[in-house]
Amino acid sequence: MVVQEEVLTADQNSWSAGRVARIVFMLVIALMFAIPIIGFIAMAFRNQDGVAAGSGGFLGLGGVSWSNAVDSWNELMKFGPGGGGVFARWMMNSIVVAVSSSALAIVAALPAGYALAQLRFRARKGLLMATLLAMVMPNTVLVIPIFLEVNAAGAVGELWPVAILMGFFPFGVYLSYIHFMTTMPSEIVEAARIDGLGEIAIFVRIALPISKQAVALVAFFSFVASWTNFFLPLALLTSSQDNKLISIGIQELIGASPLFNATVAAGLDVKLYMPQLALATFLSMIPLLIMFLGAQRYLVRGQTMGSVKG
Amino acid sequence: MTSTNSATDTVTRTKRSSHRSKLHRGERRGALILLTPYLLLLAVAAVIPILYALYTALQKSPTLVNPKSGFGGFDSFLTVIRDYRFFGTFTNIFSVLLVWLPLMMVTILVLSLLVDASPGRFGRGMRFVYFLPGALAGIANFVLWVYLLNPSISPLGGLWRALGMNNLKEVVTDGHMPTILTAMLLFQGLGTWIIIAIGGLNGIPEEILEAASLDGANAWQLAWRVKLPMIRPWIGYAALMNLAYGFQLFLEPYLLRQVSSGSIDAQWAPNQLGYSFAFDNRDFPGAAAMSIILLVITMAIGLVIVFRSGLFGDEDKK
Repeated sequence: MVVQEEVLTADQNSWSAGRVARIVFMLVIALMFAIPIIGFIAMAFRNQDGVAAGSGGFLGLGGVSWSNAVDSWNELMKFGPGGGGVFARWMMNSIVVAVSSSALAIVAALPAGYALAQLRFRARKGLLMATLLAMVMPNTVLVIPIFLEVNAAGAVGELWPVAILMGFFPFGVYLSYIHFMTTMPSEIVEAARIDGLGEIAIFVRIALPISKQAVALVAFFSFVASWTNFFLPLALLTSSQDNKLISIGIQELIGASPLFNATVAAGLDVKLYMPQLALATFLSMIPLLIMFLGAQRYLVRGQTMGSVKG
Repeated sequence: MTSTNSATDTVTRTKRSSHRSKLHRGERRGALILLTPYLLLLAVAAVIPILYALYTALQKSPTLVNPKSGFGGFDSFLTVIRDYRFFGTFTNIFSVLLVWLPLMMVTILVLSLLVDASPGRFGRGMRFVYFLPGALAGIANFVLWVYLLNPSISPLGGLWRALGMNNLKEVVTDGHMPTILTAMLLFQGLGTWIIIAIGGLNGIPEEILEAASLDGANAWQLAWRVKLPMIRPWIGYAALMNLAYGFQLFLEPYLLRQVSSGSIDAQWAPNQLGYSFAFDNRDFPGAAAMSIILLVITMAIGLVIVFRSGLFGDEDKK
């Protein structure tokens, strides 16, 4: 159907060889992107017997059924000590941590971004540079130092340090900085000052009400960043099974699968094969999908913001 | 510094500017209050860990014979650099970067130029499909690749068997790591960067493209001679960001080791080596030294990005 439209618009010009080559090439690449994902989602709805036998035809789509997913779900929920349910617990942990760290990121990023964009103070340039540097550096570089710090504080295995540490989100500060640079003329701030408003009042009464876009972007990106973070929870939370986040929880599921570790899996009565692992992964993506749908409207405008102007 | 300056200000300047400097003081105080939450987080999540890692790296590693720690100078750095795996981990990273980075950059540019040249719903549809894998980040992308790499269940199974590989252990080997990681990182990273690149291409003023068309440029020339040079600074930015990303690889080699029941090195990447110093050897000074070495490398790349890429935006106009 998509192609149909292209054909129609193309008719007005002409079907040059270049145009055909471009469309064919793009479609081939699109298939290379889509097929693995379709196959993987289908995997979550197949059963292990079918997968092992290689039945179900192309991508196993013939072996897909809802009851397979329900069976896999029941198996997945049996995982964990004392009757299982640890998967649900990990999901809850991740939701709590991602929501609180996003809230923290918003509370820190908006006023900071505003101050950097609209106020004059001595360390402004230095702080902006430190923020940009922290933003472009991969966050795993600091995981070992952070582990040493949290270890010295005796808080390894607790969720709250993870939530706080993930609340540090320099990209959010940068987004807010760009937001207040581009949407708020400094004349407004000057005028408010002349009217006798204090700096904090200007931020709360004038800047905040026009910040919906920035809030949505910071919330979305920080939520995704903490949800998908692997190294930090691995270093800080591996010691406590109940306090794991879903990212390292899935690692534990992989470790317990007879596909990769027959000796460990032999001791477990829960059998996690590829359909169960794919289902767990698929479920772990759902909160991200929900966030994406919620923020989509803002993302379309936001993605071209800031860092991308060449 | 601050107090001396404002003191001279008040003495030498006129009444009006002294009034302004009072306003300025209000601005400074306001800025400090507004920045407090962020500064606290910056301290807890970056400054203190870095300082503490520096301090830790300069300690002696405790041993069984001598469990007491103490000032050890640069011993921990020497221990790390002399470790038989140290240079290997960097060679491994370079072996991936060499394949992945050029391929990544070329693919981002080709696909975003193609999408940019495709009007209407077809272009938007393709953009969405190209973005899809980017939504599978981190461990989700990894589990997807476990499915793709396993010859017995993968849609690519025929290919693996044709190449003589019949199980995951034969697919995931040290020799195949550059290829496997390139595929994984491409699949995961392309989508986001394509979206960003399309944003950059959209920013090219319409007049320039029209002028080029009037001069008789065809679609290829437009892409190659006009659009590409216009987004050249952006290309440098993307390349450096991805270069820095390469040095911090952890999840993929760490988990590939787990699913291949050890057919690749346990400490394949520098980050894994640091992790191993901390968690296997309990050698915190060594782990701290390793992370400082990585920190220096990525910070150097980061500084180039910050100063050369125009991230500061409209800063100069202010």
